[in-house]
Amino acid sequence: MDIMLTETLEDVSVSSGMQTELPVIHIGMATCGLASGARGLLELIKKEVEKRQLNVRIVPTGCIGMCHNEPLVDVTMPGKYRVSYKNVKPMTLNQIFESHFGKNEFAKKYAICQIPLAGAQPYEGLPLMEEMPFFKGQVKIVTKRCGMIDPLSIEDYIAMDGYKALKKALTSMTPEEVVQEVTKSGLRGRGGGGFPTGLKWSLTQKSPGPEKYVVCNADEGDPGAFMDRSVLEGDPHAVLEGMIIAAYAVGGAQKGYIYCRAEYPLAIRHLRKAIEDARSRNFLGNNILGTDLCFDLEIKEGAGAYVCGEETALLASIMGERGMPWPKPPFPAQKGVWGKPSVINNVETLGNIGHIILNGGDWYASYGSEKTKGTKTFALTGSIKNSGLIEVPAGTPLREIIFSIGGGMVEKKIPFKAAQLGGPSGGCIPADGLDTPVDFENVVAAGAIMGSGGIVVMDEAACIVDTAKFFLKFTQDESCGECTPCRVGSKIMLDILTRITEGKGQEGDLDELVRLSMYVKSNSLCGLGGAAPNPVLSTIRYFREEYEAHIRDKRCPGTVCNDLIKYVVIEEDCTTCGLCEPVCPSGSVTWEKGEVAHIDLTTCIRCKACVDACKFRAII
Amino acid sequence: MAETKHAEVTYEDIEEICEEFANREGAVVQILQKVQEKYGYVPADAIEFVGEILEIPKSKMYGVLTFYSQFYQEPRGKFVLRICVGTACHVRGAGLLVDKVKEELHIEPGENTEDMLFTLEPVACLGSCALAPMAMVQGTAYAKLSADKMVSLIRQFEEEAVKQEEPV
Repeated sequence: MDIMLTETLEDVSVSSGMQTELPVIHIGMATCGLASGARGLLELIKKEVEKRQLNVRIVPTGCIGMCHNEPLVDVTMPGKYRVSYKNVKPMTLNQIFESHFGKNEFAKKYAICQIPLAGAQPYEGLPLMEEMPFFKGQVKIVTKRCGMIDPLSIEDYIAMDGYKALKKALTSMTPEEVVQEVTKSGLRGRGGGGFPTGLKWSLTQKSPGPEKYVVCNADEGDPGAFMDRSVLEGDPHAVLEGMIIAAYAVGGAQKGYIYCRAEYPLAIRHLRKAIEDARSRNFLGNNILGTDLCFDLEIKEGAGAYVCGEETALLASIMGERGMPWPKPPFPAQKGVWGKPSVINNVETLGNIGHIILNGGDWYASYGSEKTKGTKTFALTGSIKNSGLIEVPAGTPLREIIFSIGGGMVEKKIPFKAAQLGGPSGGCIPADGLDTPVDFENVVAAGAIMGSGGIVVMDEAACIVDTAKFFLKFTQDESCGECTPCRVGSKIMLDILTRITEGKGQEGDLDELVRLSMYVKSNSLCGLGGAAPNPVLSTIRYFREEYEAHIRDKRCPGTVCNDLIKYVVIEEDCTTCGLCEPVCPSGSVTWEKGEVAHIDLTTCIRCKACVDACKFRAII
Repeated sequence: MAETKHAEVTYEDIEEICEEFANREGAVVQILQKVQEKYGYVPADAIEFVGEILEIPKSKMYGVLTFYSQFYQEPRGKFVLRICVGTACHVRGAGLLVDKVKEELHIEPGENTEDMLFTLEPVACLGSCALAPMAMVQGTAYAKLSADKMVSLIRQFEEEAVKQEEPV
């Protein structure tokens, strides 16, 4: 994001706002907030504060998860609960100020909820945050501080139990005990792999040699996923703390790398500041907190290669090579960065560590399902009403995530068709599968994967074949080319899918796709190729009819595939009003007064303007 | 596409960048990122110099350079229109944005306009899916775009460029 932000923040008195005698104004300034106009709003707030000569603290925060309500502004008056305002516009700002600072109440018209603060009083007639449908089913552990604190302030982090876990681990636990606690928690790799974190740490600990590394995988590349971005932007110190504890637990790693994708400039900036502040307080550097642990961090920016999210490819990239995966073994725990034992964990995994050490492995394991303990963050997007970032106990049914927390479909009239989970390595779950508990095992049984946490909701207006093609095009572009099944297999599959969406599909195409899928799946070198056919397989499994409609009837039920769309005027429904004629940019609609309109399909560019213009649904 | 004007690169400038990373071979990705930050792209001369300084064969230099999609071997426009074509943006019509830019500026993905004002760059997921369809230009995210909004954005950038060129 814009580099200006730091400068803007320096002249604002920044503080935690947990317990305060001054009024506090929080403003959501993560990527979602900024894109919704938070920066301009911050300027206006500063001006308004100056104009009214108020003594208040202005605190920029990360993302609280309600991306659909950005920009969010919260006002906390001394002794009162924190009030949240959604979709704040310059026009509404004045009324918010007037209510709080003029009349000592809240602006009823724009407030959505209030957040309880210890020792403070609630307002009447405003729901609590945890009572809102969006937050009701959520359990916030790793995103607990996101949106609550100023991510650029180490003081804020410390005020909310930050670095307490590090102190506890370093001063009262042996490395073995730390590993044991993590093992007990049942935490599994949150990047999608699901490998037990405790086991990974224990393997690295047991690998011989004094030189070891800790690597944070922040190369969140799945399209439709932004959980890690939110954590890095909203609570960067939590990731750092997890890494330092890991360094201690694996037997004293000296150096750590955070490999972050360059598409996340704001996250990188927040990490840089966090590392600087942690160094100045001796949470990083030599003899951390007076112990023997000497550990420092370096940020490596990605350069745009999806495959680098695969752990061995990421390690190759850190070492300045082409980001190509290597066959395992050797595992990174044995031979990682510079050939030394390395533990590599995802952002969310590391973000959980502090909470586990502080509250105990048993506490963490009390959440979640039988085989997937704890919570999982999800990025809810697509045709859903409440898009944003959520955190729920593992095993929460998909229906609850989409319809209770997510608020259902964005267009009330268009019903749910499928949810895509797990990005390019995942699959689609149809309406029948809405009761699937979302954890590692159950989602796999339903034909998708829990993955890193992207959930893209599709309604009936979406085309399943087009979606499968989209993901395959993505993996095909991102295939590193090292092994043939992935490089060539995905290309042939994409060719077939493209053919189908162009109306040139043939009988037998589906069988061929399934055959190729199985081949690519079982013969690819790394996870990228191994999972690339998943979107195709899961959609053929659940939506075979839709594929067949494309192949046999040359029809796209979702009206997405341009070559298969044939707009026609339904004579019985046409009122001969003529609204459709002038909107057609290619002059393909002809109409005479009192006559039924006609569309010339040879010149029609399928822009849908006539369909949108018709008030009588007479064009389909 | 217009004929591109290449940047002048001196050995000393590149040496300075390499020294910043202690001439470590493992830092080659970071060095190339620095070079790109300085010139806006990675000029051919720079690749040659980096290879010489770090003693990396040219074949390997190009191997690394061409592997990563964010390294560019040609100069790029002043405004790089990075249109997100990730899943959420795709289902909400990112394709229409790309088509509109193609039609409006007569460029294909990866190309520059003749006046070097614009580059069209569809990118896989910028991680702001709740704002779909979105784009990022010069580090600023633009949310909930439509084809029409895209055109007005282009007009806005054009005006900005004209203003900057006018003598004060």
